Amino acid sequence: MDKKEELVIFPKSPNKTYGLMELTKTKSFQVESGPDNTVSSWPHLFFRELLLFMGVFIALMIISLLFNAPLEEQANPSNTPNPAKAPWYFLGLQEMLSWTHPFWGGIFIPTVVAIILILVPYFDRSQKGVGIWFAPERKLANLLFTIFVVLAVGLIVVGEFLRGPNWQLFWPWNMPSPH
Amino acid sequence: MKKNRLLDLLTNNRFYKSVFRHDYPDNDISRSEVVTGNLLLHIQSVKVHKNTIRTGYTLGLGLISFYLFVILTITGILLMFYYIPSLERAYNDMKDLEFAVSYGIILRNLHRWGAHGMVAFVFLHMCRVFYTGGYKQPREFNWGIGVVLLIITLFLSLTGYLLPWDQLAFWAITIVAKLIGTVPPESILGANLSQLVLGGTIVGQNALIRFYVMHVVVLPLVAAVLIGVHFWRIRKDGGLSRPAEE
Repeated sequence: MDKKEELVIFPKSPNKTYGLMELTKTKSFQVESGPDNTVSSWPHLFFRELLLFMGVFIALMIISLLFNAPLEEQANPSNTPNPAKAPWYFLGLQEMLSWTHPFWGGIFIPTVVAIILILVPYFDRSQKGVGIWFAPERKLANLLFTIFVVLAVGLIVVGEFLRGPNWQLFWPWNMPSPH
Repeated sequence: MKKNRLLDLLTNNRFYKSVFRHDYPDNDISRSEVVTGNLLLHIQSVKVHKNTIRTGYTLGLGLISFYLFVILTITGILLMFYYIPSLERAYNDMKDLEFAVSYGIILRNLHRWGAHGMVAFVFLHMCRVFYTGGYKQPREFNWGIGVVLLIITLFLSLTGYLLPWDQLAFWAITIVAKLIGTVPPESILGANLSQLVLGGTIVGQNALIRFYVMHVVVLPLVAAVLIGVHFWRIRKDGGLSRPAEE
């Protein structure tokens, strides 16, 4: 392409601050787009996902080879264990219902917590700090949620490790044998 | 570019093309067709933001929860071949799984530990989404679905807890049943709810079959549908949450 022909196709304009520098061969073209921050799902994402699955399965298999799932004696309605405990993820509820009428700790509070959790995005509508771990703009929200997490986990820990016969508090090293 | 001859043999034939609807994905067009040419398009975009594959952002917690659900479904189906939900059989079937069925104890361990793991990882996933502000517009509804999925996960785990029919199972469910009975007014609503869940006034055969059906049919089905909606909404809401572009 000689100079004259080039000027006809790409005329120099005094309003432009840029010009055509060169034509290059690339795999794809993008018109009027900013810097591209994306990658193809295949293979970049899918291989990571596959790798994670392998990791999860191997870890679970190792745990399953090392530790057997608990199995106690056959169910016996006439032999009440002391204390009888719910599955660990419900021990927070069991802990709460040992304080008040069971309805408040066992039904009312968890229902209210679930409803509040679902409604959180409709109260906390600021778009600041999205996509950033522990964004400084979200101190209050993070603090409130951390209180919720600490309470939820804390009550489970108390129920699982500190409650013994008659739902009395014991340190784990003083815990009486259940039988 | 010179193609690998073995790869060419495997992918350049009518069978491969009838299944995958695209060439071997070694260029941008066929790589995008991996997604657009498959059912996958409904949950996965052709390209994802770099933030999506940043391990330190998601920690893979949601995906781990889903993988555990898949593993639980597969091991659960296998366990169903060996388990009869009757008072006479249930506990003995547990013993058989441990001592008579080849690799039965590993199957049960995978299911049990996987279930504990799923409860933990769904909760951790919720914490991740909260601490990164991932529930904000336009993802409010998907957050709500996520909370419901957490509750379903808890109920899936609870209904499974009764099935071994050992002391642990029996008394844990007895406690939960008493709890349900406290919904006021107790004599009307509480008693009837407890009756509905147990199929009687005590944890017995009726309770076992009810928990079993909920555990192997109803709850997994609801969970699977909601997981589908959850994934589809991630895509429709613009992919994973990420920091605003500069």
